[in-house]
Amino acid sequence: MSALGHYLEEAGIASVAIALIRPQAEHTRPPRALWVPFELGRPIGPPGDAPFQRRVILAALGMLEADNGPVLLQDFADDDPREAPDAAWRPPIPPADGVESLEAGVLADLVDAELRALAPAYAKSCTERARSTVGLLGAPPAAAADYVTAWLRGEQPQSLAADMSPILSLRFAVDDIKAFALEAALAGGGQPSSQQQGDWFWNETATGAAIRRLRRTLLTDEDERAKLIATMFMVPALRIPPGG
Amino acid sequence: MRLDRLPPATAERYAALECPDFATTPWVEGPPLAQRRVAIVSSAGLVVRGDKVFRGRDADYRTIPAGIAPENLLCSHISINFDRTGFQEDRNVVFPIDRLNELSAEGVIGSVAPTHYSFMGATDPVQMVDGAAEVAAKLKADHVDAVLLTSV
Repeated sequence: MSALGHYLEEAGIASVAIALIRPQAEHTRPPRALWVPFELGRPIGPPGDAPFQRRVILAALGMLEADNGPVLLQDFADDDPREAPDAAWRPPIPPADGVESLEAGVLADLVDAELRALAPAYAKSCTERARSTVGLLGAPPAAAADYVTAWLRGEQPQSLAADMSPILSLRFAVDDIKAFALEAALAGGGQPSSQQQGDWFWNETATGAAIRRLRRTLLTDEDERAKLIATMFMVPALRIPPGG
Repeated sequence: MRLDRLPPATAERYAALECPDFATTPWVEGPPLAQRRVAIVSSAGLVVRGDKVFRGRDADYRTIPAGIAPENLLCSHISINFDRTGFQEDRNVVFPIDRLNELSAEGVIGSVAPTHYSFMGATDPVQMVDGAAEVAAKLKADHVDAVLLTSV
């Protein structure tokens, strides 16, 4: 992103970058950068907190009026208050215990049931937020769920997207069911931290366990593309248990 | 991101990410903020629902109209190692169009550009040169004189 600042400025357009990784901004030296201490994925800070977001944006845009460049790197001092857990937040469904050792077909059945159970919370959450980020695959959430569970059962279903290979289709289907579950977790107006949501999804849902299982299975696949998808696109690095 | 709060190996990996070296230090000045037209350029792999999603380290870019309906903005960045729950809850965490519209209505900034842009941030920046030049030309055509770059 800092590189884009260079390119745009070279082309005659003033820019200011919001930088999440300070050493990168120090090295790349874009014309102007505001380092923010927020977690990766949240350059403007806390969701749903317009006054805080406004302060971040004004701090960044204000650097456009400084005349002591080139190369300005400033720090935004305040942490994202939404990194703190919401003690009142509760997951939308009870935890799925003891699923790690289940046979794949049984686990797939549990995922089907779990995603059906989450559907009302997902619908409510969509209404409350007036949006959804599910849809990278271009298929309805239920179809994405069926596609993932078919892979889990050892089937090799046809791609759900005409311009995607089956394994690429799986990648985006996994993205979509993760988003489906995590958006369901927002129903009711709770303000869980990302850590709370991640802990719930990866440690307490059959869907999280199923994606980890699918990852392990595909890592042994003969198809190098399947290994690549398993390695890079299924489970965040910090959510991979010791030993894989 | 506060690297000192991450596991040491993870922090080291982020701190050591390869970055391009630039020999120049370009610097463009402009009018007061209240007279500027602001555009967002994101590296979050944002796409309009129905557009081609980013599939890898693509070097091209996507256009995002300022009036995009909230339900039509998706994130297809290839890295799964950054938080998406913030964006899922509130698009402004990554694409602060509502905040810019408010600042424009208050006269704090001059106006908001009609079109915004997104790249795939995991792409080698050297590969983005042509796309950045195209975006710069389009921004100039829209009389944009301030860009807010948002990375993830």
